[in-house]
Amino acid sequence: MSADMQREFANREALIAYLAQQFPQAAAAADEVPPVPGGRRAAEARLKQITPGKAYSASRNYLNGAVSRLSPYLRHGVLSLAEVRDAALEQAADPAEVEKFINELAWRDYWQRVYRAMGDGIWEDVEAYKTGYAAAEYAADLPEDVAAGRTGLACMDAFSRDLRETGYLHNHARMWLAAYLIHWRRVRWQAGARWFLTHLLDGDPASNNLSWQWVGSTFSSKPYYFNREALEKFTDGRYCRACPLYRTQRCPFEGSYEALAERLFPYAEVAAEAAPPPRKKR
Amino acid sequence: MQTILWIHGDNLSPQNPVFQAAPGAPAIFVWDEALLRDWHISLKRIVFMYECLLELPVTIRRGEVAREVVAFAHEHAARRILTADSPAPLHRRLCRQMSQHMPSGSRLEILHETSFVDVPGNIDLKRFSRYWQSVKKRALNP
Repeated sequence: MSADMQREFANREALIAYLAQQFPQAAAAADEVPPVPGGRRAAEARLKQITPGKAYSASRNYLNGAVSRLSPYLRHGVLSLAEVRDAALEQAADPAEVEKFINELAWRDYWQRVYRAMGDGIWEDVEAYKTGYAAAEYAADLPEDVAAGRTGLACMDAFSRDLRETGYLHNHARMWLAAYLIHWRRVRWQAGARWFLTHLLDGDPASNNLSWQWVGSTFSSKPYYFNREALEKFTDGRYCRACPLYRTQRCPFEGSYEALAERLFPYAEVAAEAAPPPRKKR
Repeated sequence: MQTILWIHGDNLSPQNPVFQAAPGAPAIFVWDEALLRDWHISLKRIVFMYECLLELPVTIRRGEVAREVVAFAHEHAARRILTADSPAPLHRRLCRQMSQHMPSGSRLEILHETSFVDVPGNIDLKRFSRYWQSVKKRALNP
């Protein structure tokens, strides 16, 4: 039997110092602190601020869009999916007005159900890659330059830094970073999934791993990828403007979807048939 | 029957069904040291979860989860452990370990919170689109 851990703290700094001392391995690996507080009170305050109607559906794909930021609270059951859905419905005269928001909540419910059915199998490829490459052709480990945010790509380095420093990434940024790792760097999705679980405040094996598999195409019918134009649009150009590779051939994301598919998936049956349309973001 | 509550990281809410089922019963949360190590969980995640825990009436310990929870039950002469459900296979393994180490006549009960949507048992989970088509109407009109 271990001793009770402390429950009284003078302030947040004292709590953080205590936890860094109690969990030195975690602090040594990454000593950043969460920018958002945990707890039901904070969760309820954030729930009151959601705008699940048109503001959400029209802007959610943009990094500065009206997303709820409820995911860490949902992940740890501080809020339930049902009560967040009910709060969204309260703001709508017609449920259709908040359908997209509820559809996104449903993704979490779906991943949880798949997790219950698959168990630890979510760490294995659910299906084969549809990229033209076999799993063995992907590297097992996370490249150091990606982990450290030193790839030289302004967007990816910023996402890497945000992940480490804040424990949060917008969903679109997660997808771009995952696609970059899997399809451009040809790294197995498991390496990226483990990295995300270390840092994301909402890190949940089900949503995380299965979303990585969705990007990788081991749990979807084709790989998700993107191009520089799309990234620039949904980030309002903030990374592209700061990137020395902007609109040069050295930007690995520069080009049409067709050209990128030929470069990334030259052996894929789907890509070889016809250039795939850009994947619809979920 | 004297009861204790086992609180885990998938349900850190004061609305947790176990708090409703046995108000005032002693509750415990155990930091799973093996999990923190294996998953390289960063300090910020620990801080966030700890702040959730500080709003709950719960004793916080660390170590091997099943062993700590059973010891806590023993301290309180409890023969009944209540916990909230989780889809994680680790949760099932821990429940099994606890059941094996509890004295005879004890029982462990797993409680479910209100689900997002009730679905038929044979629902097709191969792709999200199929799931969504099955549940959409009920999800939007609970």
